[in-house]
Amino acid sequence: MQQLNFEPVLTSDKETALREHVRSFLAEHGDFPAANVIDSWSVCDPAFSKLLAEQGWIGMTWPTEYGGGGRSYLERYVVIEELLAAGAPVGAHWVADRQSGPLLLRFGTEAQRQYFLPKVTQGECFFAIGMSEPNSGSDLASIKTRAERVDGGWIVNGSKIWTSWAHVCHYMITLCRTAEPSDNRHAGLSQLIVDLHAEGITIRPIITLAGEAHFNEIFFDNVFVPDEHVAGKVDEGWSQVMAELAFERSGPERFLSSYKLLEESISVLGKMALKQESMATIGKFVARLMVLRQMSLSVASQLQDGKLPVNEASVVKDLGTSFEQELPEAMRLILSTEPRANAKEGIERLLSDTILKAPSFSLRGGTREILRGIIARGLGLR
Amino acid sequence: MNELSHLIEDSATKLFESFSESDGIEKMESGVFPEALWADFIADGWLRTLLSEENEGAGLGLAGGCLLMRLAGYYAVPLPVVESLLAIYLLAEAGLPITDRLYSPAIIETALPETGEIRLNGIPWARHAAGLVVICSVAGETQLVLVKRDDYEISEGCNMAGEPRDDVVITSDKLQNKAELVGISVEDINSWLALGRAAQIAGAMRSVLERTVEYANERAQFGRQIGKFQAVQQQLAVQAELTSASICAVDSAIAHLGTEQEWELIACAKVTTSESAGIAAKTAHAVHAAIGFTQEYPLQLSTRRLWSWRDEQGNEAEWSARLGAYCMNLEADSLWCWLAKQTA
Ligand SMILES: Cc1cc2nc3c(=O)[nH]c(=O)nc-3n(C[C@H](O)[C@H](O)[C@H](O)COP(=O)(O)OP(=O)(O)OC[C@H]3O[C@@H](n4cnc5c(N)ncnc54)[C@H](O)[C@@H]3O)c2cc1C
Repeated sequence: MQQLNFEPVLTSDKETALREHVRSFLAEHGDFPAANVIDSWSVCDPAFSKLLAEQGWIGMTWPTEYGGGGRSYLERYVVIEELLAAGAPVGAHWVADRQSGPLLLRFGTEAQRQYFLPKVTQGECFFAIGMSEPNSGSDLASIKTRAERVDGGWIVNGSKIWTSWAHVCHYMITLCRTAEPSDNRHAGLSQLIVDLHAEGITIRPIITLAGEAHFNEIFFDNVFVPDEHVAGKVDEGWSQVMAELAFERSGPERFLSSYKLLEESISVLGKMALKQESMATIGKFVARLMVLRQMSLSVASQLQDGKLPVNEASVVKDLGTSFEQELPEAMRLILSTEPRANAKEGIERLLSDTILKAPSFSLRGGTREILRGIIARGLGLR
Repeated sequence: MNELSHLIEDSATKLFESFSESDGIEKMESGVFPEALWADFIADGWLRTLLSEENEGAGLGLAGGCLLMRLAGYYAVPLPVVESLLAIYLLAEAGLPITDRLYSPAIIETALPETGEIRLNGIPWARHAAGLVVICSVAGETQLVLVKRDDYEISEGCNMAGEPRDDVVITSDKLQNKAELVGISVEDINSWLALGRAAQIAGAMRSVLERTVEYANERAQFGRQIGKFQAVQQQLAVQAELTSASICAVDSAIAHLGTEQEWELIACAKVTTSESAGIAAKTAHAVHAAIGFTQEYPLQLSTRRLWSWRDEQGNEAEWSARLGAYCMNLEADSLWCWLAKQTA
């Protein structure tokens, strides 16, 4: 049985100073409308991303030669958690900053790094994740989108679905089949950097149950991708995707999606005659949040040390998304109010937004059942 | 983990493993103090873990003590590790003489009566102790009184794991010789005891997880190991998550001992461990099925402790209500600032 490692980490004065800096930035730019603060890392605002880029807060951990900040993962952690806790609309650059950039740094060519990374850090280039397909969700290795070798590159045919912000993004790291399926289902997959404005691509929005144009369906009709845009090694995309997961699953966005609801509930409850059970409910969620922060910070520090704690990341995501999903269920029982979907502000709106968005929290980035399967494998059961 | 904690783990592991092979637990449960184990514990110097070197202690502080307590929880050690370590530490802090005898702390939460008797319920190991280290608050000062075994009456009780939890009666004339504890509040002592329990829970949870995973990989039904069934895997994954969260919560509280955030992180650790303990026990028993329901199979040694310890020193409802009340008193938007301070 592999031990899961969550050794606690304390931040230093350097991070504290940075935190203060983010807070003063937010004091100036941080008056976000209530309608945008729940799950704010799914709210796209390219102008705001540009502002963050000016602060050097996109690609913070990347080497300076590619426009990055040369900062640590802990520093990045502090910045992103401050932004998330404030409900800042960080969705546009989120994927590029969290995983596409790190992927290119790990597996990309020098030319790719020099071309893409500076654009990303300037807030001018956003990436989407092209993994899921209509018939391949959890069973990602079963994807059908194919890339055929041609002179100078690849021709892609097939489709992707549930692609967040494809209608806003510039590129998509697209997982394709580049070799016939064999006994090793994980072989023969490759990641291509697809220009979302290329010829042959059709992007159709899919509206979420909360009424948002968030994700999309993407069709590839003989789309040409030049050789220079193969990310990493041909036919070895699977192990690259697995490496991305430690970044994708462990961050504070996995438990802060409904944070504003907790904060606002405390403020509303403070004005009411408070019952003992309400205090206990608040205390219980605060305690969970404290531990989640510690765990997530611990993973950030392990990433800094060059490790890839994929099992730990799965633990953070499963516990974290359970937390953010259970929060509205608990708050509705202690707040004497009903959710109001059209309210401009106030707890009624936050409650409504959280309840409507919560189902997705434990789906995106790998479902609860899949994460638990990964953890079970780490325990030596599979 | 630093070198010091490795050292503690290594040598305490050897000792506690030797305890596992003894009849200490049966002795304890039948009301007999496991003298031989206690003698080994003293001989290795563990009683003085928290004491400074000038008190012939190990100078490891409560942080080192918590590591020992966690291991004691892992091995279901039938000794008052949490109680004895804290009691002797408090005696030393009050400037009273120190011996290698067993003392147990007892906190009086109410005002001290001038006359008559005072009843204290569920005092750990009171029947076997050489005396109780009674703590109370008088006019804002924390007072300590050492009450010898002859000076209190007990009626024996035990928790679900068979650990002594006796009801004690002391007449107020036995509470006269007060010594002052400077710079330590009753609340501090309550929270240290809670952290000790939380550490024990985290240790026991680890043992329960390891045992359950091992069992799931051995036991076969329908032609394969039960650990291959997804329904079993999913439950064990959750148990592993909660076990890591409990360990992390205790580690964080240890890391913040002596800082401004000490109390909050201890509260958080007791909420997390007490809440997780029951879920871990439930899953472990579900996966073990009938064999786990027997006295012979050792799972019960840990699960009966989990069920007991989660309620001792304040359960998750009590601690979360305290923590919640604390948060409600923060300025409106400062919950986040306060949370962020917890890792700085
Ligand atoms: C808001 C949102 C944004 C998203 N953004 C993106 C994106 O940008 N890019 C992208 O590529 N994808 C994206 N996704 C897709 C997401 O990754 C998939 O939804 C997810 O992987 C699950 O796939 P599925 O929806 O096809 O469900 P399925 O895989 O069909 O699963 C259905 C149910 O069956 C369970 N199940 C499946 N297999 C197993 C198994 N082996 N054992 C036990 N249970 C199993 C699942 O847990 C689930 O409960 C997004 C999804 C959402 C909701």
